[in-house]
Amino acid sequence: MPKVKAKRQSVSLDMTAMCDVAFLLLTFFMLTAKFRPEEAVTIAPPSSISEKPLNAKDGMMTISVSPDGGVYLATDDQLAREFMIERMANRYGVALTATMKKNYMSSEIVGYPAGAIRQVLSMKPSEAKDKGFLKGIPIDSANNELSYWVGYAKLSNPNMKIAIKGDQNSKYEVFSDIIGTLQAQNINIFQLITSPENRPK
Amino acid sequence: MAEIDSSGGGKKGGKKRSKKMSTKIDMTPMVDLGFLLITFFMLTTTLAKPVTMQLNMPDKTDTKETSPVKLSETLTVIPDEFKVYYYQGIPTEASTKLQVTDYSDVGIRKVIADLKKKIGNNFTLVIKPAKSAKYRNMVDMLDECAITNNKRYALLAIDPASEELIKKSGK
Repeated sequence: MPKVKAKRQSVSLDMTAMCDVAFLLLTFFMLTAKFRPEEAVTIAPPSSISEKPLNAKDGMMTISVSPDGGVYLATDDQLAREFMIERMANRYGVALTATMKKNYMSSEIVGYPAGAIRQVLSMKPSEAKDKGFLKGIPIDSANNELSYWVGYAKLSNPNMKIAIKGDQNSKYEVFSDIIGTLQAQNINIFQLITSPENRPK
Repeated sequence: MAEIDSSGGGKKGGKKRSKKMSTKIDMTPMVDLGFLLITFFMLTTTLAKPVTMQLNMPDKTDTKETSPVKLSETLTVIPDEFKVYYYQGIPTEASTKLQVTDYSDVGIRKVIADLKKKIGNNFTLVIKPAKSAKYRNMVDMLDECAITNNKRYALLAIDPASEELIKKSGK
């Protein structure tokens, strides 16, 4: 008579399927992820009922306004960025070295007066940020450097779109100065970046 | 495990049995890593895409004659940090009455909606943000225009006459 053996149940379970799902999700998120763009300061835009997505085709320049009124510039067009720093350095008589250029290209944000270009670009972008050099671009009428940066960017890429991302608690005056600067260069269409909000009934 | 069997084929002698290896490997660390990376990408990815509001300003170099706007069809609003002033007409005239309201849906929105209903499609909103206004206040006003479906608005700098009017009203 054959011996009846109780079937032993294995404790290890087959994880192949779970692993498959995990990596499928991983691949999906890796491919669709768009990293949060770096910011010089944290900006909380005001909310609006607008539903238009940001149109970032053929170049986008974002002018950010921090709560205390600092103006920062960011462009995703690399060619325009290179052109901008070369012209700015030339204008303010700064000899641009390879290291400075590398430091400039590694951060999208411009947020310092032209007088500080040499000092800021001699260190890594994160270091400059930590040391508090990113104080913003001067926009007062006596020394309006924003108009030069924007002018050179427009020269390099005339189709560049301008977005303004202001903090909700920044002063309206700063915004009106920026609009005035841009209008002086015949830029009349702006995209104001806002956070979405439900439409009231 | 990874050695090459150099002995020629054929089985002879004592039966040489290679140890049967299990084909199953422990996948736990791999799954751990997979989920760790998923978590990372899920947290860093931006799901809430920013929306934009388009603002078109008039071309300053354009000298083309624009259609005049009747004074009786305009409303001037002066957004300040917590309240909104509004008046109709010319600020220097004595008959101009300055009123004040807030940003709630029964505040400035009602004023705009009522006046728009009364005047019709030619209704024009003139926005002159006060000196102490925040950026948020201007966006709120543009938003009110979008909510009330008002396509005719102008964003101007505040004039001394309007400031004087606010001062005089003491509100």
